Amino acid sequence: MLKKKGWFTLLSLVLMVSVVLTGCGGKNNASSGGNSGSEATANAGSKDSKETKNLTFMFRGGTDEQKAYEGVVKKYEADHPNVKVKIVVTAADQYATKLKASITGNSVPDVFYFESGDLKAYVNSGVLLDLTSYVEKNPNIDLNNIWKYGVDLYRYDGTMAGQGNLYGMPKDVGPFALGYNKTMFEAAGIPLPDKDKPYTWDEFIKVAQQLTIDKDGDGKLDQFGAGFNVQWALPSFVWSNGADWLDATKTKVTIDDPKFIEALQFFTDMQLKYGITPSTEQAQTLDTYQRWMKGEMAFFPVGPWDMSTYEKLPFDYDLIPYPAGSTGKSATWTGSLGIGASAKTKHPDEAVDLINYLTASKEGMEALVKAKVQIPNLMDMAKEWAADTTTKPANKEEFLQVVNEYGRVLPGHYTYNAEWYNLFYTDIQPVLDGKVTPEEYVKAEQPKMQKLLDKAVEQEAKSKK
Amino acid sequence: MNVKSNLYRKEKIYGFLFILPPLLGLLIFTLYPMIYSIYGSFTDWDGLGQMNFIGLSNFKDLWSDELFHKALFNTLFMMLGIPIGITLALLLALGLNRGVPGTTAFRVIYYVPVISSLAAVSIMWNWAYNGDYGLVNQFLDLFGISGPNWMANKYTVKPALIIMAVWKGLGYTMLLYLAALQSVSRSYYEAAELDGANGFKSFWHITWPMVRPVTFFIIVTNIIGGSQIFTEMNIMTPTGGPEYASASVVFYIWQKAFGNFQMGYASAMAVFLGVFIFVVTLIQFRMNEKQSFDVD
Repeated sequence: MLKKKGWFTLLSLVLMVSVVLTGCGGKNNASSGGNSGSEATANAGSKDSKETKNLTFMFRGGTDEQKAYEGVVKKYEADHPNVKVKIVVTAADQYATKLKASITGNSVPDVFYFESGDLKAYVNSGVLLDLTSYVEKNPNIDLNNIWKYGVDLYRYDGTMAGQGNLYGMPKDVGPFALGYNKTMFEAAGIPLPDKDKPYTWDEFIKVAQQLTIDKDGDGKLDQFGAGFNVQWALPSFVWSNGADWLDATKTKVTIDDPKFIEALQFFTDMQLKYGITPSTEQAQTLDTYQRWMKGEMAFFPVGPWDMSTYEKLPFDYDLIPYPAGSTGKSATWTGSLGIGASAKTKHPDEAVDLINYLTASKEGMEALVKAKVQIPNLMDMAKEWAADTTTKPANKEEFLQVVNEYGRVLPGHYTYNAEWYNLFYTDIQPVLDGKVTPEEYVKAEQPKMQKLLDKAVEQEAKSKK
Repeated sequence: MNVKSNLYRKEKIYGFLFILPPLLGLLIFTLYPMIYSIYGSFTDWDGLGQMNFIGLSNFKDLWSDELFHKALFNTLFMMLGIPIGITLALLLALGLNRGVPGTTAFRVIYYVPVISSLAAVSIMWNWAYNGDYGLVNQFLDLFGISGPNWMANKYTVKPALIIMAVWKGLGYTMLLYLAALQSVSRSYYEAAELDGANGFKSFWHITWPMVRPVTFFIIVTNIIGGSQIFTEMNIMTPTGGPEYASASVVFYIWQKAFGNFQMGYASAMAVFLGVFIFVVTLIQFRMNEKQSFDVD
């Protein structure tokens, strides 16, 4: 008898689990999106409705960042007692997989992060909610006070990214500025770089060479001028030399342009000819990052997400513009991550409200900036923040200049996928090792990349039908 | 009569209920996705929008896809770890089977990597392989060898991954062999001794044939597992390694499906990989059948 009882318990347990598991699948299919526009705005701000509204918010980030965002969401809930936000958070490298799996599985979170490069695909297949009308009607949102660069990344008019309707708001903008080790300059008695006038490439090499030293005389260099990761730093040199990976129509790969070759040559020369950077084998991001933090590197790119980490550095650092190529102007990559809403969300107003709270509200921004994981999205707040030169880095103004003046988005953003662009870096190692010349490389690589780009263009055309 | 059949029917229902959950699981989480991806492999699906049937076009593209060839080669190359792992595990098992003092401690030591999470292990080895201050190169330094930056060099990245995989799998394989060795009856060895067989001879004619079923099991599961290798490279070389030297087929599938909106193409690769594993396993079973009467 006892045996039989155990049987039943087990059986019912197993059945329960299987029912729960199968039940999960079709949960979100029911809501058919509802016609967003007018009907929804009628309900806007009706705080008297007592029904609790549930939103799912999916995002990613490092531990500091996760804590900061969870805090802001809690605050949002406190301000909006009728809204409950369920947080789904992953480590950065798993995020894309998880998001795409949930899109394929038809259970898109109400509010979620997305890469600006994926904008076209998500809009064309109806994943993202068009925020334009909601944002225009919301008196709390002043788009003019948010970085134009950031907002434009999430605009798309059906053919070209960067213009038209708005499908997301920038979570932040990530200006990848150039930092230098101030303490090292002072120790070597070299005049500090001008924060308003960029070095020319020649000047940069000269200064960096002076700072590349074998300190203990063991025949091995233990202080370097710079350390650049090709994937994140090469665009700066290419752009400031007046070249790019793509032409204006975004359909032709232009890496065989002589200006491009010149920039790539300069980039490899820094290691092979001038020896101011650690050898390519050692120049993995982690290693140069460690060297910079140990105070063994004069110049190193600095992103705002590192400010909290760099606060504890044993030396003083500051920001300057990137060395300028033949255009005479600095250029650099500026990252961004968007927050968008699902086109099928049951509560578009609340979803947009949450997005606004995270990206454009004073309360939200203050909390995030305080956590030192990003620069403010709001321009007036950013100006105030940058004016405070007592916190490191003193020249925070440089971050704002990157966003306003010389920051750019990576070429993959403009195309349906970035496969063609990534191939450039997959094959580049022999160039950095000096086994293949930049000229040979771009000639051989251009057709391969063009083929992938053609495919992406074709894919895009298909996705619009 | 009536009572009996009632009872019988009841039991039958219980029986069905019992196999229902795993069966449902299999249908929903294995069979359905499998059929879906086979269908997907004939379409240009981007993973988001609609699917258009394009016939065998994806498979034709595979034929001329350089990166796919590279990934396939890498995957096969990394299977070199299987014979190495088997040899080492068998040697270890033979050693432990002799009842040296501290056997239990050794078993635990070798088994710890097996139960550790693959992600944690990958992160740890990534540190060990660091070119500047990694444990591996510091160790080599003791002998005056200056080691390479393992994960950043296209010639060392695959061996590095093989070493790690062997280390990770060693305990499991060893334990299987240990169990097999302990089930070999002592009387065979005694008889062999009487006939004058020495150590190696009795190993070759008794031990090796007796543990053959285990060897077969290990080879089959290792090849299946090796074809699906992914986590290690995803963590240790997130861009596929220098010149794509450490990308596996599954890594490439993942990149295509979730990075580049080419779910259809990725499905085609998955189908290819599935067929490949099926065929290889089939061949192995056939070969095993032929040889299985050698022992007696």
